[in-house]
Amino acid sequence: MQSQSSADIALLLEGTYPFVRGGVSGWVHQIVENFPQYTFAIIFLGSRERDYAEQKYVLPENVVHLECHYLWDSFPLSEPKACEGRHAYVKESMKLHNWFRNPCSGLDEEVIKELLVSLGEPSGFTAEEFFYSQAAWQQLCECYEKFNANNSFVDYVWTIKALHAPLFMLARVAHQFTPRIGAFHSISTGFAGLLGTLLHYMTGRPLILTEHGIYTKERKIDLQSLFIREHRDLLGNALNKGMQYQEHLWIRYFESLGRLVYKASNPITSLYEKNRERQIVDGADYERTLVIPNGMKIENFVDLRDKRPKDVPLVVGLLGRIVPIKDVKTFIRSMPSIVARLPEAEGWLIGPEDEDKEYVQECRNLVEELGLEGKVRFLGFQKISDVLPRLGLLVLTSISEAFPLVILEAFASGLPVVSTDVGACREIIEGNSDEDRALGRAGIVTPMANPEATANAVINLLTDTERWSLAQQAGFKRIERYYTQSRMLDSYKAIYDQALTR
Amino acid sequence: MAGIGFRLRELVKTDTLSGLMQAYSIAGVISSGPWVLSIVGILLIGIINTDNASTPFYVGQFQISVTYLMAISLLITSPLQLMFTRFIADRVYEKKDDQVLPNLTGAIFLVIIVSGTLAGLCLYFLFSGSVFYRLLMFCGLMILSTIWIVVIILSGLKTYREILLAFFLGYGITVWASMELGAFGLEGLLSGFILGQSILLFILLVVVYKNYSSKKLIAFDFLRRNKIFPSLAITGLLYSLAIWSDKFIFWFNPQTSATIISPLRGSELYDLPIFLAYLSIIPGMAVFLLRMETDFVEQYTKFYSAINKGATFQRISQIYHEMLETIRRGFVEIFKVQGVTVIILLAFGDKLLAWVGISPFYRVLLNIDLVAVAIQVLLLAVLNLLFYFDYRKDALYLCLLFAVSNILFTLLSQYLGPAFYGYGFALSVALTTLAGMVTVSKRLDQLIYETFMLR
Repeated sequence: MQSQSSADIALLLEGTYPFVRGGVSGWVHQIVENFPQYTFAIIFLGSRERDYAEQKYVLPENVVHLECHYLWDSFPLSEPKACEGRHAYVKESMKLHNWFRNPCSGLDEEVIKELLVSLGEPSGFTAEEFFYSQAAWQQLCECYEKFNANNSFVDYVWTIKALHAPLFMLARVAHQFTPRIGAFHSISTGFAGLLGTLLHYMTGRPLILTEHGIYTKERKIDLQSLFIREHRDLLGNALNKGMQYQEHLWIRYFESLGRLVYKASNPITSLYEKNRERQIVDGADYERTLVIPNGMKIENFVDLRDKRPKDVPLVVGLLGRIVPIKDVKTFIRSMPSIVARLPEAEGWLIGPEDEDKEYVQECRNLVEELGLEGKVRFLGFQKISDVLPRLGLLVLTSISEAFPLVILEAFASGLPVVSTDVGACREIIEGNSDEDRALGRAGIVTPMANPEATANAVINLLTDTERWSLAQQAGFKRIERYYTQSRMLDSYKAIYDQALTR
Repeated sequence: MAGIGFRLRELVKTDTLSGLMQAYSIAGVISSGPWVLSIVGILLIGIINTDNASTPFYVGQFQISVTYLMAISLLITSPLQLMFTRFIADRVYEKKDDQVLPNLTGAIFLVIIVSGTLAGLCLYFLFSGSVFYRLLMFCGLMILSTIWIVVIILSGLKTYREILLAFFLGYGITVWASMELGAFGLEGLLSGFILGQSILLFILLVVVYKNYSSKKLIAFDFLRRNKIFPSLAITGLLYSLAIWSDKFIFWFNPQTSATIISPLRGSELYDLPIFLAYLSIIPGMAVFLLRMETDFVEQYTKFYSAINKGATFQRISQIYHEMLETIRRGFVEIFKVQGVTVIILLAFGDKLLAWVGISPFYRVLLNIDLVAVAIQVLLLAVLNLLFYFDYRKDALYLCLLFAVSNILFTLLSQYLGPAFYGYGFALSVALTTLAGMVTVSKRLDQLIYETFMLR
């Protein structure tokens, strides 16, 4: 790949494509591969260079530029030297910080733009000014007095420095970015989104935001578990209070990054309705939000329909890694009731078992305890096209999902689904709009961690052939109408075309 | 200087920033303390061997020989002194006490090789005089150089009684032996001196080796780039150069000097007053050590441990102001005590000179030297603070200013004539101290800011 001086779309990716495999990466690859008419530039943001091995995807020919930056690798700064620093910039930045503290107050986008465009530049506020200057120091002391005066000062200072360091790093990336770009497309808020925001304000080119998960929410979960892990042994009151404030700062930091990115992006897309609502709560303008679900190539699965046996197999399958987030134990616990009613029924656990061996062992023990040997089988990783026709129902007991592709695959192959009410599952199974809902239910949605409800749903569908067939038909129709790859690609083509002519 | 060991130990025990803790380096500058004692020794030997105001010529030869031994040994060890002090302080802070002994042995080895080679070459090619005299000088340089290195370790020891005893015994024997051996002329006096110094060195080594243990015999970690601060070597050298440059200028200007014992030249006019003057700083040094090493170190420790242990800004700032107050009090006290000492000596100098049998001819120069060395105590305090707060660059520039200004002003004073002798050194000390005070006060004003933003 030769680096060219211009590209239509610049994809801003944080910790995903092309170095890490996963849902988001697969989606990005799908987009790039299916839009040969556009050229793409990719900016990859990682944590540390050593965390990423070789590329996991072969870049299609239309990727004309790839650059990688690492947020936590050491940041080149000149030797510490006392300086006065630009007080005016600091004062102006307080407007922004006040907005972060109180998002209802509103803020003129021009202020944000001016602050961001000159960030890290001698004309604005350099990294050296932030780390060494009197202006920054005075502001830091003032904010400490105002918001955190009873807690550890040294921890406060280091937290503030750690929060801001990546911003200067991103500002440098943005200023050194040379290719001419038609539109920027960030696949998350966070750091990639902020980079997009900087580039958007600097070049005037539109910024498109696509969120698969909700970045801010994910960071919150990370942070909480981190702070709990690191500090649960510190019972000192003052220390705990300090920790709480730091945690609070970090959470607000990611919320604020999100807020900045939402302010600069148009359109803002999400995979399903719940996430769109979440985006609006987090500061996205309703007018700009848009749901574009993932799409898949049904063609590959249509043939599987013919491979189905005439009678519905009495086999319920859970397709996925055997990990706690899939709550495999609830699946196992639902089996005794199912077997009691349908003695022939079997439960298959289909998916790799190498990620959390301890959990897999716990699941095996549970099967033994419940006397389900021979009834619940661990099949390991299987080719999806081999296994789907042999199932009578797909069951998901996950406690967290975003937009599980496996449900679409099940629908396409003619398989109804029983799933917990997480992520986009209800929307996919029952429909989103009125028109969508009119197509019928393609399965049953159950509450989380409720083996009885799961068992009842399974028994319901497997014993009622008519209901099963209706669900199968609803699945066919829904996927063909709303979840095809071409539908998704058309939506993005419209977005890209519109952005490129803006 | 015995008290510091005790204080520094306490400092090390508390949990402070490793980097700032290293400011321990102070002990290096203080190691110029023992040479005040040496002057007392030489002068005493001179006085004891003087009969009815007529001093035998060999006493002068002895004094200049010892003076050169001091000057050269201090100069050649000066690059190592501060650097090695810091190295040891860092290791002790890291609780790697077992690295002290092997590195001390390594440093002694290095110093003996360097001083021995230098002394050997000089004595063989440049010196006249008896073989015995030359051998004594050869030993003398190596012994003194080694003492300056061993003294560095002492500041880390708690056993200050033993150290005091070592100095007392060492100098007692030096004076006593010189008295007994005075009859044998230059070689006799010098043998006595070297005997006394050897015993001092021996006792010090016993004390040091008794207090530390190690599995390794010898190590040269103190020369490893990642474990040392080379700028400290330059600072140490510049400081020594500064202190000795005016003396060398007077020794090698034919108008102000004479050959005492070839090739050693001396300036009787210039040397005696300055060495006498150095005796007057003992009260000031005592206050300096007491204030700096007890009150100040306590505040200093408190300051950094408050920061590290997560104190609030208000608390940090409160301790900071208390620390500044302590520093201010320390300076005022040094100023008072040394000021009173100087005033007394200025008023009664004539009588004192007459009492110890020194010609009143030296009086004018002595007066200006008294003022100069009094200011030098303040300069020591300033450097001490810079090392504590780890402003190594400032210390370096200050010592550079000291060295350059002393050379320039001394040359100028020589050009202007005898009435100005001594003013060159005095002016240089005053200028450097003033610059140092301004620097320290500026640094201290910004201390909290610099600690959090520039470190």
